[in-house]
Amino acid sequence: MLIIKGLKAKVEDKQILNGIDLTINPGEVHAIMGPNGSGKSTLAHVLSGRPGYEITGGEVTLDGKDLLSLSPEDRARAGVFLAFQYPVEIPGVNNTYFLKAALNAIRKFKGQEELDAIDFLELVKAKLKPLKMNESMLQRAVNEGFSGGEKKKNEILQMAVLEPKLGILDETDSGLDIDALKVVADGVNALRGKNRSFLIVTHYQRLLDYIVPDQVHVLADGKIIKTGGKELARELEEKGYGWLTGEKKEAKV
Amino acid sequence: MTQDLYVSSFPRLEAKLPGQDAAWLKALRLQALERFKQTGFPTDELENWKYTNLSLTLLKESFAFETATSTAAVATQLKKAGFDVDKAHLMVFINGRFSKEFSSLKPLAKGITVQNMASSLSSETVKAFVGKIAPSQNRAFTALNTAFFTDGLFVQLEAGKVLDAPIHVVYLSANGNQTTQSHVRNLLVLGDDSKVNVIEHYWGENLSAYFTNVVTEAAMAKGSSLDHTKIGLEDIKGYHIGSLIALQEEGSRLSSRLFSIGGALTRNEIETTLSQKKAECVLEGLYLAKEKQHVDTRTFIDHLSPNCNSHEVYKGVADGQATAVFDGRILVRENAQKTDARQSNKNLLLTKEAKVYSKPQLQIYADDVKCSHGSATGQIDEEALFYLQSRGISRDEAKKVLVYAFAGEMVEKIESAYLKPALKKLVDNWMEVH
Repeated sequence: MLIIKGLKAKVEDKQILNGIDLTINPGEVHAIMGPNGSGKSTLAHVLSGRPGYEITGGEVTLDGKDLLSLSPEDRARAGVFLAFQYPVEIPGVNNTYFLKAALNAIRKFKGQEELDAIDFLELVKAKLKPLKMNESMLQRAVNEGFSGGEKKKNEILQMAVLEPKLGILDETDSGLDIDALKVVADGVNALRGKNRSFLIVTHYQRLLDYIVPDQVHVLADGKIIKTGGKELARELEEKGYGWLTGEKKEAKV
Repeated sequence: MTQDLYVSSFPRLEAKLPGQDAAWLKALRLQALERFKQTGFPTDELENWKYTNLSLTLLKESFAFETATSTAAVATQLKKAGFDVDKAHLMVFINGRFSKEFSSLKPLAKGITVQNMASSLSSETVKAFVGKIAPSQNRAFTALNTAFFTDGLFVQLEAGKVLDAPIHVVYLSANGNQTTQSHVRNLLVLGDDSKVNVIEHYWGENLSAYFTNVVTEAAMAKGSSLDHTKIGLEDIKGYHIGSLIALQEEGSRLSSRLFSIGGALTRNEIETTLSQKKAECVLEGLYLAKEKQHVDTRTFIDHLSPNCNSHEVYKGVADGQATAVFDGRILVRENAQKTDARQSNKNLLLTKEAKVYSKPQLQIYADDVKCSHGSATGQIDEEALFYLQSRGISRDEAKKVLVYAFAGEMVEKIESAYLKPALKKLVDNWMEVH
């Protein structure tokens, strides 16, 4: 499924990723944890093709397909979905229009028939309910004036509609209260399945109480320094990152 | 085309212009020619023409006075463009002359006149208003238009008359191997509490360079309402200089909508004088320019009386090496207390080579007024672009989505079912081909 080998990347002149090796099998949920500045979000961005990063080494394949050579839209069509830490507000673009255009772009790529307005609406309404989202948000501009919780739910809604192979959650828990966190986690859990994998980037263990990972990786200085089961997350919550990265780093946590 | 050439051609052409038996018009034309002799063409030394240099563009070209004809099936093309023309009064002018063949008017109630200017020159109303609302002093192109106009639209509504169906006026320029020019004069005279909807639609299908010079005068009596739309779809051979000049009396309402899309060089001027209390104007516009197009929009609102409102929203998109200019002036005179004037101009630049000059000007001489203006010019939001791409939408498509998100506001706010689908199509098409 997703195989990352020796991935190195820099932003401007700063090396951020220093050789990441990671394999996620179909159906698995992996969590990436680590202190601020460890490269967690960079990894999420690089996988989704965000501009501004220079890949200086390594490779990434999704089902054998070289991801790094693809444009962001082709990665999305290949099944990569990034839930943004800060979803972008787009005034003047209607949420329904946006979601339909996205879904149909992906369907077209897969050789499937594009959905018409009626079929699409039926599909999207069914996906709204479990996320406790109001239908009225479909008529609003993309993320415009949405609360933090609404924005994150909107990300999960998009993921539910687009049905990716790999869902990357970039600090989705940041800025969420406990109720919204539960709704978002339930939304993600509902999408778990044997053919869908997740990479959950988070600073805190809290989200992982609700989305229980198969593996937890600790990232520091752009490298995975420890890998363990779900219990590793709790250990990190208790001890902080210092015992893994050295006392010097703990002050930064 | 030089000033001298216009002046020296006048005696030869004058005899062929309409209104030979209207002494008032002959005098007016001569007087206008004199004005034109005095002022000459505007140079970029004038503040109003600073960003639109005619000597390098319009004045370098030469345009024949002889008129070409066209057999374009106008109504069919309008339908294709999304206008349900059966619902409108259709007036067609080809190269500045009325085409009865392509026009079709519905029956009009008594007290409503819709006809071509060349057939209306014996009207006392025409005599009373032409050149009065848009005088030729210090306006070179108005003077030129007054001296040389061949035809145009004349609309008159007596007090209380309402014309529901829009008057859709097509000004088609179509030439072949020879250059052309047309000077079009429109006059709209609205009686007390009358109401009318006029669409000026300029459209070009030309092989050679052409020049359209249009002046529209609107006299708006008490409580009258004019809904005016100008669609500028000149082709890339076209030079277009046009103005809408309105004089508004008490409680009248002008709603002006400008969609300027075509032309090598376009200058649109919209001016209104709120001469009596409680008059109101809403000016909206969208200009889209690509390649090397130059589009210049200038508005002037003269708040002369108290309790008048003016709201202006203009948006522009410049792509390629295009240049867009917006100059919006609001003058609030001493007597114009309780004025509510708002102006907004926003521009989107799609390339590094495209240029926008935006110049809002507020001059306020009254103390109890609410006035605001804002101008902003920016580029496509890269974050938004990536967000759309990350959902599977191609970069090109995402750009279109974002351009429409910006420009589409001007389409979405249109209430007229006659205009909205066609204008939406127009903007969509622009994004497809640009």
